[in-house]
Amino acid sequence: MSLAIEALHAGYGDLEILQGASIRVAPGQIVGLIGPNGAGKSTLLKTVFGYLRARAGRVEFDGHDLVGRRPDQILGLGMSYLAQTGGLFPEMTVHENLGLGGFILETARRRREALDELYARFPFLHERRRQLAGSLSGGEQRILAVARALMVRPRLMLLDEPTAALAPRFIDRVYETIVDLNRSGIALLVAEQNVEMILAAAHHVFVLDLGQNAFDGTPATLRESEQIRRLYLGEA
Amino acid sequence: MSRARRPLALGAAAVILAALPLIVPHPFVLTIATQALIWALLAASWDLLGGYTGQISFGHAGFFAVGAYAAAAVTKHAGVSPWAGLVVGMLAAALIGLAVGFPALRLRGHYLALVTLGFAEIVRLTAQNWMSLTGGPFGIYDYRTFPGLPVEPLAHRRAAYWVVLAIVAASVAVMVKTCEHTPAAKAFRAIREDEVLAATLGIHTTAYKLLAFGLSAGFAGLAGTLYAYYIVLVSPTVGAVGTTSLAIGMAVFGGLGTIWGPVIGALFLYGLNEALRFVGVVYNLIVVGLILMVFVIFVPRGLAGVAASRPRRRQRAAARADGERALGSTGN
Amino acid sequence: MWESIADFVVQGIVLGGLYALIAVGISLIFGVLDVINVAHGEFFAVGGYLVFAAVVLMHLGPALGIVAATAGTFVLGLALYPLLLAPLRRRVGRRPSGPLYLVLTLGLSTFMQNGLLALAGGEYLQVPPHVRGILDLPFTSVSYQRLLVLAIAAVLLGGLFAFLKLHRYGLAVRAVAQDPDAAQSVGIVLGRVFGLTLALGVALAGASGALMAPLFNVYPAVGFPLTVKAFAITIVGGMGNLVGALIAALVLGVVESLAVMVIPSQWQNAIAFAAMIGVLLVRPQGLLGRAVAR
Repeated sequence: MSLAIEALHAGYGDLEILQGASIRVAPGQIVGLIGPNGAGKSTLLKTVFGYLRARAGRVEFDGHDLVGRRPDQILGLGMSYLAQTGGLFPEMTVHENLGLGGFILETARRRREALDELYARFPFLHERRRQLAGSLSGGEQRILAVARALMVRPRLMLLDEPTAALAPRFIDRVYETIVDLNRSGIALLVAEQNVEMILAAAHHVFVLDLGQNAFDGTPATLRESEQIRRLYLGEA
Repeated sequence: MSRARRPLALGAAAVILAALPLIVPHPFVLTIATQALIWALLAASWDLLGGYTGQISFGHAGFFAVGAYAAAAVTKHAGVSPWAGLVVGMLAAALIGLAVGFPALRLRGHYLALVTLGFAEIVRLTAQNWMSLTGGPFGIYDYRTFPGLPVEPLAHRRAAYWVVLAIVAASVAVMVKTCEHTPAAKAFRAIREDEVLAATLGIHTTAYKLLAFGLSAGFAGLAGTLYAYYIVLVSPTVGAVGTTSLAIGMAVFGGLGTIWGPVIGALFLYGLNEALRFVGVVYNLIVVGLILMVFVIFVPRGLAGVAASRPRRRQRAAARADGERALGSTGN
Repeated sequence: MWESIADFVVQGIVLGGLYALIAVGISLIFGVLDVINVAHGEFFAVGGYLVFAAVVLMHLGPALGIVAATAGTFVLGLALYPLLLAPLRRRVGRRPSGPLYLVLTLGLSTFMQNGLLALAGGEYLQVPPHVRGILDLPFTSVSYQRLLVLAIAAVLLGGLFAFLKLHRYGLAVRAVAQDPDAAQSVGIVLGRVFGLTLALGVALAGASGALMAPLFNVYPAVGFPLTVKAFAITIVGGMGNLVGALIAALVLGVVESLAVMVIPSQWQNAIAFAAMIGVLLVRPQGLLGRAVAR
């Protein structure tokens, strides 16, 4: 699989947020997307997944042109998306939430198989399957969202600040899961405020600022760059 | 059209309207024109509250009815002169508007619309059932119209037309002035765009919302009094949802947030409605319904929006986008 | 006196069943599409006309007539979504932009009511009772016709709730009501769910129109008073909360019926609005609704 984003322009109404951003995700990679608030990280992910319409630029996923496609079509091509907030159905049970994750699977049998797989992978979800999703803790909800996205066996997952508002032990748990997923072959594009965590996990990192690329490289390269260190890692 | 040219255009329109009875001295046309003006005032009053201040009322028929019934009642039972009756009706409606506005302060959007609808329904049910006060289903009739007007039918209608035109024009002018050139103007708009933000910026949202309610209800009531003295019959149907619906439709058609847009929308739609009666009594309303739907989809800014200059449109779009961005996503 | 009360209670439950069919439809449409369907009562009228056509004109019998009316309104709802609501949504997005959606359904209401007037005339059309006969209960008696209304209402509402709870698309409807963005992220196509929901909601109105035709007669404006009252009921129960609408409808039916013993009958209709205003002032989300910052 491969994801290529080139010179992407997108925004809300008259506001242009992305002003020509380019990102690449190679097979099997964890790619981090960092940058200050308002830089366009969320907007980029939303545009790739079809929530927003790109105004200019290209988005290519495994040879398919994604621009102008709806989220359900993009999901069908093998890409999942996890929102920063919400993203779950709080008044439905864990079981119903997971089941909906398999909405586009063609048969009830495939849905059951996918459910069994996920319950095996995340036993605590099976324990809580009859609980309302809204009653889970923040971290558990995040794992549930990840599990739900896995129901369709995506090849690439877009994560928008997966650790936002989470307690530290849950942050570790989420990143363990991310690395675990990557080991099983899924590529991930992760927008992150928590720079330390993503630098530790990612193979490659892009820095966005004011809707454009400001820097990209391996985590090591990033750490070496004085400018980046000062601006984004908060060092003097 | 640009803001500089607007007073000129409005002035021209006023002159044409004033000259109408001389151009087309037909009593039927005058009747339609007079009623169209009354609707124009109602639609404009709705726009002050809905289009400018963003408080959607589904109960303006209630204020209209209060004005109409108050005026008819004081003239019939207390012998009050219609000129004074105008003031009585307007004040009664304005006070009721404040009374409705108070509890409605905490409500937004659909909820506000529905509570005002409930209010209007209660007004209508009261009108229908409280025989001693309102005459029940038969309503109030057999009372004086404006005194001092010529007796001859055509001349009478002409004079009545001019009276209504003068009052409507004055009211619209007051509303436009309030909504464009006073501190209330900015406050109304701020409340409409983002009420929470407006409050944090130090705008007395409560006071201004109540002001909007009072003014809007007052002018709606004034339209009601004009109706009462022109038709000389007030029955419960004036408070029906259909009245509010048509007024809102006229406002949207004409263009929300302009005051003069709804006036034009009302004149046009009412005129069209009556003109089409000749084609077939029912088809006129079918066309009105169709126009409402088509306009809302394809021309949501109404006639006034079509005439608006580009910079203003871009400003609004940017303001909307800012609002969306502040909220963080395409949905909530 | 107990006979009277029993009588009123029974009538009230039947009335409540009717209210429930309409209020649940309105609440469903609001909960999922965020639209207040001002034209809902017109679908009630359409149901009446369809059953008239089926039973009186085509001699199909009441059972087929009711089914045809329900199916017909369902299809009408399916067709109206892409024709009217989808184009507006494409322009202004889901967040209701001022009164635009209200005006749209308002225009539809005017169009439909007068369209019916033009097509079928204004006379009150009569439909024979779907079932005849009276059931004798200990304290009172009730016609089978009214019982039929209650029974079918129970079946339809039960079916709807089952659909929402068990069927894949029913879950999709609930998902869209709770979080449309999340629903899209699992591959649900919003437009399809919106169309389906609209169709379901108005089909309930059409069915009740067909059921009540023998009692109310059929004419273009027959549905409108019910619509306004149904809005009040959904507010009391909590907009978007189906169970709330159901309970509020039943309670109102019984209260309205019993109230005749205490207040003059013309004021019956004011109860719903007084309740609505009361709820809006004290607890705007409705008795069973969640506290949503609207």
